[in-house]
Amino acid sequence: MERSDRHGGFALARELDWTFSYVDEDQVFPPEIAGRPWLTGEAWAGWEEPYKTSYGEYVRKQRDKDVAVAAVREAVGGAEAYTRTGTAPEWLSGLKLHAATLPLAEFAATVGNLRGARFGRTSDWRTMSLFGALDEFRHTQIPLCLMHDLVRWDRQFDWTWRFYHSNNWVAIAARHCFDELLLGTDAIEFAIATHFVLETGFTNLQFVGLAAMAHGAGDKMFEKMVTSIQTDEARHAQIGPAVLRTVVAHDRAYAQFLVDKWFWRSWQLFAVVTGFAMDYFTPLAARVQSFKEFMQEWVLDQFQASLAEYGLKVPWYWDTFRESLDYYHHMVYASAYTYRATVWFDFVLPGPEERAWLAQKYPQSWPSLDPVWGRITQRWQEADPGNDFAVHGTAIPTFCSLCQLVLCSGTPRHNAAVFVERNDERLVFCSEPCRWIFEKQPERYQSHKDLVKRVLAGEAPANLVAMLRRYFGLEYPEWGKDALGGVYPFIERVSPRAKGA
Amino acid sequence: MIPLYGFLEGDTIGLLVLGRPEDTAADLCDKLQAAAAVRVAPLRNPVVVYRGDPVPAHQTVATLGIGALERFDVVEGRLR
Repeated sequence: MERSDRHGGFALARELDWTFSYVDEDQVFPPEIAGRPWLTGEAWAGWEEPYKTSYGEYVRKQRDKDVAVAAVREAVGGAEAYTRTGTAPEWLSGLKLHAATLPLAEFAATVGNLRGARFGRTSDWRTMSLFGALDEFRHTQIPLCLMHDLVRWDRQFDWTWRFYHSNNWVAIAARHCFDELLLGTDAIEFAIATHFVLETGFTNLQFVGLAAMAHGAGDKMFEKMVTSIQTDEARHAQIGPAVLRTVVAHDRAYAQFLVDKWFWRSWQLFAVVTGFAMDYFTPLAARVQSFKEFMQEWVLDQFQASLAEYGLKVPWYWDTFRESLDYYHHMVYASAYTYRATVWFDFVLPGPEERAWLAQKYPQSWPSLDPVWGRITQRWQEADPGNDFAVHGTAIPTFCSLCQLVLCSGTPRHNAAVFVERNDERLVFCSEPCRWIFEKQPERYQSHKDLVKRVLAGEAPANLVAMLRRYFGLEYPEWGKDALGGVYPFIERVSPRAKGA
Repeated sequence: MIPLYGFLEGDTIGLLVLGRPEDTAADLCDKLQAAAAVRVAPLRNPVVVYRGDPVPAHQTVATLGIGALERFDVVEGRLR
């Protein structure tokens, strides 16, 4: 910290709020966009975030971080970093998944932070949000820049930019969540949902875990990228608890609703992106813990402690959530493996060693999941090497009317999908929490069509290949395949033709 | 054709199944098991469950009154 900043009226500038004389306060901060509960400025006077910084300090620190990222890019960036070190194909898949879902969501977060920078109710909140907006713009630019270096080597990396501009089913689900979270919320909901739930609860810790995994996998560029981003997140996430404290004091029920709603919405996407990465896309030798262990150690304990600190309860669906730690990402991964052509990254088939590891880490759920991998392995034994569509689904998968993700909740024994009649329309939800969120605010969600409804309305093709090419924007070189073409040491082909003879 | 949501015991995802009014419960079993065959081996004694109750194999979609976008499950009969 540089003393000159703190001696130059730092505290005065940080808390420089005006008394309005020719407009009312609620005209300056309309409740529709500033958020509710709408409180006078005095109610927010105690707003305090622990991670104070000045603009000068911010610029200098960010410059140093950007120089460090650029140095790593120069030293180990580009395709050579991956071709030279023989990076495992499954790790590259995890990289492509994160690369696509991260940067333009961060750009939307720039907009959300700017809302806080204008409509946050205290000057220190607004200042922190402005830094947050600058952070998120940086988090947009860094992965776009680093992954652009890889596009000529591997076209799937082009989805770093294309993903959110597509109608790919994962993009529809991610947009549905992030558009609401980052673009469609008022300043208070944004602060609690994004800064307190998503960042403090999930992504800040996720980046720590991802950096450790990248280190283990020898991916220095990704490790540096997520470490650099995480240090920003740790700072601007502090806005959330500071806002939550005041909202709890004036409307505890609303604070609890926001936490319950956004924890579930955040969890589902987090489970898909990070659950895949930790339990399937990190090479076995580089795994330090399972996704469930990571969640229990880093997310559950800390999030529960944070809630208790503010006098809030764990979400009402906590038992459902805890059960889903054992099943949800596994069910989505097995389903997505058999629909891999619908996404922009490749998949790996878990072999005997991976399945033994998963059985040890998930003793409650794996006995009901392992037969699926036995069946898929058997299908590869009967198929020609590289014949992906011999081991691929063709029926149309189904999607949740709220989260837009595939109906993969519950267990293989009983899928938790819930059906509801509403205004002559039949809605389906992957889970009770998704139904509850929809029914709490139907006006927000009811006009959105899931992919099945788009097919039935003639807006999307029903034929799988037509859907991949015309609707998802995927061409053969890009769409997902088995990373090894179904050729694994543990697969013994059962016929001469399938052996490639 | 009647679009239906089918859930096969042992599977990891729900699938869209296109039924006809004259399809029997046995036909729905066959269609859903074929659609999920890449992940789930055929059940030995598959039974359709509709609105919480197992239905006889000869009953049709029309007689059961299964409407568009309704749920049916196919489960292993020995469990019931």
